Amino acid sequence: MTSEAKTHAIDISAMQRDNRILRLEDETCTLQVKDLRLSYGEKEALHGIDMTIPKNRVTAFIGPSGCGKSTLLRCFNRMNDLVDSCNITGQILMDDQNIYDRSVDVAELRRRVGMVFQKPNPFPKSIYENVAYGLRIQGIKKKRVIDDTVEWALRSAALWDEVKDRLHESALGMSGGQQQRLVIARTIAVKPEVLLLDEPASALDPISTLKIEELIHELKKDFTIVIVTHNMQQAARVSDYTAFMYMGDLIEFGVTDTLFTNPSKKQTEDYITGRYG
Amino acid sequence: MRVSLKEWTKSGEPWVWLNAGAVAICMIMVVGLLSLIAVRGLGHFWPANVYQADLVENGNTIRLAGELVDSENVPAAQLRDSGVAVPEGAEFMQRDLLKIGNRDVGGSDFIWVLDEFLENRSQPEMMFAAERREWGNFYGYLRSLKENGQVVASYDGYEKNAEYMQLWNRFQESIDRALELHDEIVEIEKHEIGAINYELERLRLKERSLQLKEVTDQSRYAEIDQRRKELDAEYEVLQKQLLDLYTQFNRDSFTAETAGGKTLEIGVSKVVRAFLPNNMSITEKVVHYFAKIWEFMSDEPREANTEGGIFPAIFGTVMMVILMSVMVTPFGVVAAVYLREYAKQGFVTRLIRIAVNNLAGVPSIVYGVFGLGFFVYFLGGHIDDAFFPEAKPAPTFGTPGLMWASLTLALLTVPVVIVATEEGLSRIPRAVREGSLALGATKAETLWKVVLPMASPAMMTGVILAIARAAGEVAPLMLVGVVKLAPSLPLDGNYPYLHLDQKFMHLGFHIYDVGFQSPNVEAARPLVYATALLLVIVIALLNMSAIAIRNHLREKYKALEM
Repeated sequence: MTSEAKTHAIDISAMQRDNRILRLEDETCTLQVKDLRLSYGEKEALHGIDMTIPKNRVTAFIGPSGCGKSTLLRCFNRMNDLVDSCNITGQILMDDQNIYDRSVDVAELRRRVGMVFQKPNPFPKSIYENVAYGLRIQGIKKKRVIDDTVEWALRSAALWDEVKDRLHESALGMSGGQQQRLVIARTIAVKPEVLLLDEPASALDPISTLKIEELIHELKKDFTIVIVTHNMQQAARVSDYTAFMYMGDLIEFGVTDTLFTNPSKKQTEDYITGRYG
Repeated sequence: MRVSLKEWTKSGEPWVWLNAGAVAICMIMVVGLLSLIAVRGLGHFWPANVYQADLVENGNTIRLAGELVDSENVPAAQLRDSGVAVPEGAEFMQRDLLKIGNRDVGGSDFIWVLDEFLENRSQPEMMFAAERREWGNFYGYLRSLKENGQVVASYDGYEKNAEYMQLWNRFQESIDRALELHDEIVEIEKHEIGAINYELERLRLKERSLQLKEVTDQSRYAEIDQRRKELDAEYEVLQKQLLDLYTQFNRDSFTAETAGGKTLEIGVSKVVRAFLPNNMSITEKVVHYFAKIWEFMSDEPREANTEGGIFPAIFGTVMMVILMSVMVTPFGVVAAVYLREYAKQGFVTRLIRIAVNNLAGVPSIVYGVFGLGFFVYFLGGHIDDAFFPEAKPAPTFGTPGLMWASLTLALLTVPVVIVATEEGLSRIPRAVREGSLALGATKAETLWKVVLPMASPAMMTGVILAIARAAGEVAPLMLVGVVKLAPSLPLDGNYPYLHLDQKFMHLGFHIYDVGFQSPNVEAARPLVYATALLLVIVIALLNMSAIAIRNHLREKYKALEM
């Protein structure tokens, strides 16, 4: 355990570990990655990744900039489709269905695999409309259902008390940390199974970061969470499993405690002890 | 402290002065232009004093009365050469332009006279001016008022006194009565009889269309006949009413003596308003002035557009610009969305973009020719063949009209909207689009619910630019629908209310027509300025409302700080 984590007012690591020994073999698998290769034009960015994402756990991707961790994350909800030159081979299985299969409805996949980006990106609408957006997209029209879901999502994102009196004001008037929690609320409002977080706290101040981390801990009861972070302390604090990536390869994947205290690969050890990256 | 030229240049001060100078020159030009047309145009409506003077030339004396409109200095030598007896030693002579009115007496209502030759100048208080429905203004002395040919009041002197004022008041009452009757007549002629004529024409077309379709069911013809008989009966009633009104309308007349001593009898029904310009207080003049300006903005033109108002032209301009905006906005936005969001970016899209940009540089008259050839003759002709065969050979849409004019201008301005919208679309942060897609929205949903609303201020910018360009355009309109005088407004109470096939009046064309096609140049000139001022104001108002909408949208979809 890093000493830094213990300086927090709330010791997340103590809550998180709850004296149970995690083992990857015991977990239910949500997403299974099989020999995933991705290239932008001529340049291959992922060189055949194989891994499984365990259900209702927090999995963190760490690694130096440009190692492909964000690229891999964006493969899970096919966000890379938006890049014209992107070419993908291999499989990602969700419920035994390859999400890259032709028959897959991409919009439905993205509903099931929600994503939160590095910078808060609320829509220029009211707070309420931001959260209701995904529901309206799904064709839900009943006001009561939407009201209830909005409240539930905002409560789940620990934002309700701060915004309940100004739901119909513009979301752009909120602070950065609030905006990021709003985006999380917006994402969980459509009840996804997997939540992808792409460096969700990197643009935020330490207090907001702490709140997001607490939130991640709360949310893992209901969602499978995959988080990309360049902050190793954060990975250590919030995740159950950690994957270390380097130059487009998955170097090591395992229980967070083990990976940080007793890495099996030299590269991993070098990275977490700060020798490069 | 002395600063060397080099240091001064280095400090950047000359650059600042240059910039400020350029801005100042622009401001001076704009303000100068606006004040010129404002002063020249608005001065026209002021009720100037009427002078009376004797023009002594070559021993002949002619008594004149009129308003002083303009004066200029002419070289004496020039006058001497043209045979005018100019006093020795003079280098310049002042020449005055007088508006003497009374076109029915003298033939022309403006006259240039040499100031030198005018004698016995006075401003007789009982001299009156009357604006008439034809023959322009009348200036002279009121002599008597007649009802049914019987004199009811008269006055012979030249001094304004109580007796004259009594006659004058009777005269004013008579004018007011005639104006009321005139309003009633217009109401019946234009609206009631107009509506009947319109319906009769529709019945005729309906019958013709039944014949063309070879319908043999006699009951339907009978139905039409029945309705026609009803309308004819209604028409008869109105016609009788109208006849009554006209008799009453033409009941009164007045006699008046011109400055030259001729006596005329004129029907009161011909007079729009009469006033004693030399006897008006400043307040009365101000009231009169604003009444005239209001008339100018709200009335229909008279006397080949040199008198009366220009309301149909204002209405036509605004109507056309609004229709143009309604047509150009969806078209331009849809095209921009395809180019920016869906089309594969490559050589072809680049080519299309260049073509669109160049389209904005094509001279507008070319669009006019295209509009006439393609829209009016080809499209309009085929629309007539398909939908209005009963009206043939008279064209319905196969002739220039409001719709084709708006469509031509929409075509002219569509590049502006495309470019502005594309610009707006490209500025929407990628993160916001991804945010929407990541929630399970499809590309189309993202476009409709997030991207397009956020790009709407940019679209409005495009519309503003389009309006600015279209509202001032005249050349293409002359080919596709604008006329000098339209009998009715394109929007009225007759079904289908908005008549897209009708020709319309336009402020820009009105300026051209009044300024260059008018038989009465002097009378028309101030109206050119006044109309130009109004055109500028109308365009400014249209633009300002579009800008207000855009600012509202901008506030609503404030761009993210990314």
